[in-house]
Amino acid sequence: MSGTEIAAGASLAGKSKSSGATLELSSLESGYGEVQVLWGISITARPGQLTTIIGANGAGKTTALRTTMGIVRPWGGRILLNGEDVTKLPPHAKATRGLVLVPEGRQLFPDMSVLENLEMGAYSRRARPHHKQNLDRVYQAFPRLKERQKQKASTLSGGEQQMLAMGRGLMQEPVILMIDELSLGLAPVLAQQLFLTLKTLKQQGLTIILVEQNVHLALAVSDYTYVLAEGRIPIEGPSQEVEKNDEVRRAYLGL
Amino acid sequence: MSGILASMIDGLLIGSVYGLAAMGLSLIWGVMDVINLTHGSMIALGMFGMYLLFAAIAGNPYVLLIPVIAAGLLLGILVYWLSVNWVVGRSQLMSLLSTFAVNMMVIGIGTAIWSTSPYNVDFSLSGITVGAYTFTGNHIAAAISALLIALLLEAFLYHTRAGKAIRAVADNRDAAELMGISSTRVLMVAFAIGIALAAASGALVSTLFPFTILSGAGYQLKSFVVTVLAGLGKPFGALVAGVLLGLLEGAVSPFIAVSWIPLIEFGLFVIVLIFFPRGIFGKATA
Repeated sequence: MSGTEIAAGASLAGKSKSSGATLELSSLESGYGEVQVLWGISITARPGQLTTIIGANGAGKTTALRTTMGIVRPWGGRILLNGEDVTKLPPHAKATRGLVLVPEGRQLFPDMSVLENLEMGAYSRRARPHHKQNLDRVYQAFPRLKERQKQKASTLSGGEQQMLAMGRGLMQEPVILMIDELSLGLAPVLAQQLFLTLKTLKQQGLTIILVEQNVHLALAVSDYTYVLAEGRIPIEGPSQEVEKNDEVRRAYLGL
Repeated sequence: MSGILASMIDGLLIGSVYGLAAMGLSLIWGVMDVINLTHGSMIALGMFGMYLLFAAIAGNPYVLLIPVIAAGLLLGILVYWLSVNWVVGRSQLMSLLSTFAVNMMVIGIGTAIWSTSPYNVDFSLSGITVGAYTFTGNHIAAAISALLIALLLEAFLYHTRAGKAIRAVADNRDAAELMGISSTRVLMVAFAIGIALAAASGALVSTLFPFTILSGAGYQLKSFVVTVLAGLGKPFGALVAGVLLGLLEGAVSPFIAVSWIPLIEFGLFVIVLIFFPRGIFGKATA
């Protein structure tokens, strides 16, 4: 992985009109059936920044992203993408506007080839004109995907699948890239490589929200951190400050 | 050339039409996990569609296939919104019942209009004679048409953006939504194509044999056998399995009465279900 020239995404298009935020969740509530999971969380992702959400298993991290995307219906609160209210839109309408989720468990198209998976990333009208250019960038970032472009996605290793999920997300020409568990189930070396790629993407101006179990790595690469616990956000702040927080050190860093 | 060989070749020709019908059933199953019980009635409507067009225009039936397919697409969209959209993703009993209801409605209306007496499309192409045997021109043309339609479908699914979106939705509907694909719209299109394939196969059958509004049922059952033979949700496997079924029919028909053929077909169906539950083209393990 060279990680030098990676899709800069729609970093410029991602500039906000009103509040200066690319994505703004305010008092978001949701859950499954009768069970409420999110109790009014507010999260702001600023342009060009890497924002992380950390927290224990079952804290509602994945639910937060799934609700933002519209896979889980919001019960209350608002979602603004570049100032536009997208709260009630279905997932495909949000994706078309550049809200991109790299989901937990990768969610590839297993029976389609690696190249076809990437092509599906460029399906939307806004991503289509950048198809070729983004494909070159993805292949530069992940040369392994180019070697395997004709193979079915289901034949890839876990690490390659995560690369493909990331690459497919970049093909979508994201206004904001939300990644659910970048390192889960990957060998440490591979996880570090992917984090390096993420850092490069951020340097190129991409706005990113990362949900991550590896709190050390997450705090190291991010600008701003939200701690999610039982569906609420008790702690938030610039990542360097959150790293020094006693409670965070005790509960999440094991120090 | 021996009689059995000629009979098998004829079976192979007709089998490609079975395969075309089964492709429609298989596509719908593969994309949306719905067992489409309107299949038989849509085949029957394809037959009557061809009959009406031929009676009105008296053109070449193989050219008339094009308007039949177009009408099948429109009908498929209608049936999708009427009976499928509400039950996709819910228990399969729901979609079985709702598509069965549409099936009964179509059969009822069709019986009121055309009664259940037989109709036929009076058109015949000159056949090809080899030695003592003549292969009917209509059978050959039907097989060629079926293969052509199958090839067009393959090109659509593998080489166009809309076709790839159908495969993506079949593969992982949630992920397709994340790519900006409206899965509801894709399901509608896939269903419409499935119905159009059923109608096209019915239209081709109408050039081979006399038919009634109830004739679709027999072809629906053959489609089930073929689809299971191929493994559910594998449209191109279904085409091959359809040809195999036709071949089997051709091989046994010189020796036994026609009324025994369903017994053999469904015997095969049961055997395949027991020994190859994923179909003969299916993978051994998930």
